[in-house]
Amino acid sequence: MANTVIAHGITIEGELTSDEDVLIQGTLRGKLVSKDIVKVESGAVVEADISASSLSVGGQITGNVTASDRVDLMAGGRLIGDVKASRLTIADGASFKGNVDMDV
Amino acid sequence: MADVSVVGQGIFLRGSIRGEGDLEIRGRIEGDVEVGGDVTIGEGALIKADVTARRITVRGAVAGNLAGEDGVRLEQGARVVGDVRGASIGIAEGALLRGNVQTGHAAEGQRGRGRAAAAARPTARPEPRKAPAVTVAAKGNGSPRRGAPASEERAGPPPPVVPALKKGARAALRKRSR
Repeated sequence: MANTVIAHGITIEGELTSDEDVLIQGTLRGKLVSKDIVKVESGAVVEADISASSLSVGGQITGNVTASDRVDLMAGGRLIGDVKASRLTIADGASFKGNVDMDV
Repeated sequence: MADVSVVGQGIFLRGSIRGEGDLEIRGRIEGDVEVGGDVTIGEGALIKADVTARRITVRGAVAGNLAGEDGVRLEQGARVVGDVRGASIGIAEGALLRGNVQTGHAAEGQRGRGRAAAAARPTARPEPRKAPAVTVAAKGNGSPRRGAPASEERAGPPPPVVPALKKGARAALRKRSR
């Protein structure tokens, strides 16, 4: 289990900085900077720019996303915003609107 | 489903946390915390925020006001600078507090008052059951039971009388009856 959990029913507004992995099931508005893994689970609503080492998206994100390692857009996930990452996977059934920059 | 949110040790949040459910804080927060469930502020937590919740347990450092609808507990290691408000407040030995303390009243609103009264009852010293109206009236004046007039005390059945026996007397009696 992740060290930090934003559970369903909780809303965080503001700037969240983290040295550890973060699991989001609730709502986050603002900005999230993590040095570790960020997981946005199904049912979560994120209106924030996210920067993380790796990001998996099962919920809904509106905002730009930067990952030093990878971004995984899962089935049912929804991402509106630009992605900057060295690796990106988009599963069948995910929706995505935005630019991709894979530092080629 | 009891959802517990956790703000881990490596977290720094500048902003607010709101919503339903329980919350455990081990990191740093600057802003506001307003949660419908219970909040635990763990050791090592550093909070510059007003905290409003159903029940608050503190083992870390808080600069801000604490309002617990049902109660607030400051445990060993707690360091609080700010006002503390709650239906019942516990301060353990080893907890540090600088600020006002107000017990008895529910944090805010009518919604909390009924629940707070229900929660406060078991912690009060044992007493005969009274009509609810009396309980509410007694709650109003801060120190609930002692302030009640004598006439109301007589209304209920008297407390059970336990015969005072010398130490070991009960065992002796039991042995004799065998």
